[in-house]
Amino acid sequence: MIDIENISKWYGDFQVLTDCTTQVAKGEVVVVCGPSGSGKSTLIKCVNGLEPVQQGRISVDGDDVTAKGANLTALRSRIGMVFQHFELYPHMSVLENLCLAQEKVLKRPRAEAVARAEKLLARVGMADHAAKFPSQLSGGQQQRIAIARSLAMDPIAMLFDEPTSALDPEMIKEVLDVMVELAQEGMTMMVVTHEMGFARKVADRVIFMDNGAIVEDRQTAAFFDNPESERAQDFLSKILDH
Amino acid sequence: MNYNWNWGVLFEEQYLSWLISGFGWTISVALSAWCIAIVIGSLVGVGKTVPNKIVRGICATYVEIFRNVPLLVQMFIWYFAVPEMLPEDWGHWMKRDLPNPEFVTAVVALGLYTASRIAEQVRAGIETVPPGLSAAATAHGLSTAQTYRYVLLPISFRIIVPPLTSEFLTVFKNSSLALTIGLLELTAQSQQIAEYTFQGFEAFTAATVIYVCIALVATILMQVLEKYTRIPGYVGKEA
Ligand SMILES: Nc1ncnc2c1ncn2[C@@H]1O[C@H](COP(=O)(O)OP(=O)(O)O)[C@@H](O)[C@H]1O
Ligand SMILES: [Mg+2]
Repeated sequence: MIDIENISKWYGDFQVLTDCTTQVAKGEVVVVCGPSGSGKSTLIKCVNGLEPVQQGRISVDGDDVTAKGANLTALRSRIGMVFQHFELYPHMSVLENLCLAQEKVLKRPRAEAVARAEKLLARVGMADHAAKFPSQLSGGQQQRIAIARSLAMDPIAMLFDEPTSALDPEMIKEVLDVMVELAQEGMTMMVVTHEMGFARKVADRVIFMDNGAIVEDRQTAAFFDNPESERAQDFLSKILDH
Repeated sequence: MNYNWNWGVLFEEQYLSWLISGFGWTISVALSAWCIAIVIGSLVGVGKTVPNKIVRGICATYVEIFRNVPLLVQMFIWYFAVPEMLPEDWGHWMKRDLPNPEFVTAVVALGLYTASRIAEQVRAGIETVPPGLSAAATAHGLSTAQTYRYVLLPISFRIIVPPLTSEFLTVFKNSSLALTIGLLELTAQSQQIAEYTFQGFEAFTAATVIYVCIALVATILMQVLEKYTRIPGYVGKEA
């Protein structure tokens, strides 16, 4: 479904990504981890063309993202994305947050968009908050709404960039629960996270990045039981310790 | 000093009607210029933030020119120099056939000048919106234009209501410069009353009071607008 072939990317002289190659199959859940600054966010932003790449090729469901003149807006509307800081539209109610792209991008009629939004809000346990504004809600609630907002577009795959790292500890679980449920329903997911419990529970594979390169790309159990590289061992011991 | 106070002149029919007419022109010039300024200022302000370098360059140049040349000089340029610089028929038309040339020129000059100031506010407002928000909009498939229309502009306009209030007040004050090209707005009419009646103190007091009242009303209107558009709990990037 997501095919990343030999991509390299530079910010000016600085190489952020070095020859990264991986695939995510339909229904597969892949966790991406690695030290801060290793290029995880950049990698998943390249998948929906939020960041251009200078070398290599990415395709999603057969559509080339990196091709010149690719219809990126159409493609992006089919890939959900959830950010570390939620990025809900602060001037819109929760309901409008879920309806905006449905109406303006997918051209869904208002009634249909509202119905879809309400269904998804109920699903993430936020049905009672449709009329509130984002800043009136807790971080965990905002993130669940952000997930629902992406799901409202009926995406074929979901990208998550550290969805729980801006949350207070007691809110992490409510967000992970939603993500676990999604994974179990067969959503194709690429998740940047340091929540190794989540990775063990639902990930099919774990990718470990360091310095802009994919250092390991393994089945979940294999990655945790005997990471090959020293850097991954080191990383795991650090985050599993505390 | 032997000054003959006579507040009564202000209520003599002729002078009262001059004041009212001056008031009318001040309001007309200021509000018309404000409309031009909001439209052009928003476009230029947005233009300063778009990815396209040429558009950004053009808009930045506009702002630098119109903001840095004194408004009085701009009035003179539009009134005296532009008709000479245009092709002959246009110049003739501006001098002879353009209805109400002082008014039109004052509106254009004040509007384009104020636009450059509003453009800076709009640009600053857009830059206050956290970049992650436009990334989210883009990630959901909104085009650049849609991202501006539905996300960036609604947020930034709410943020810039307070600085816009002071621009709005300034446009009324600046409209008094139109007297230099012969528009009989409030200041010009007061001056004329002073010359006719020798009651300069009364005439300019009247003008002062009217300007202050305009400012009060304008401030109240903007406060209502601010209250009405406030986003519950939202303070922007610096939050
Ligand atoms: N817009 C940018 N311009 C220049 N450098 C950037 C930009 N975005 C990210 N970087 C750099 O690229 C590297 C990888 O960033 P990122 O993908 O955000 O890492 P991670 O998500 O793994 O923490 C970091 O060193 C970061 O400083
Ligand atoms: Mg990151």
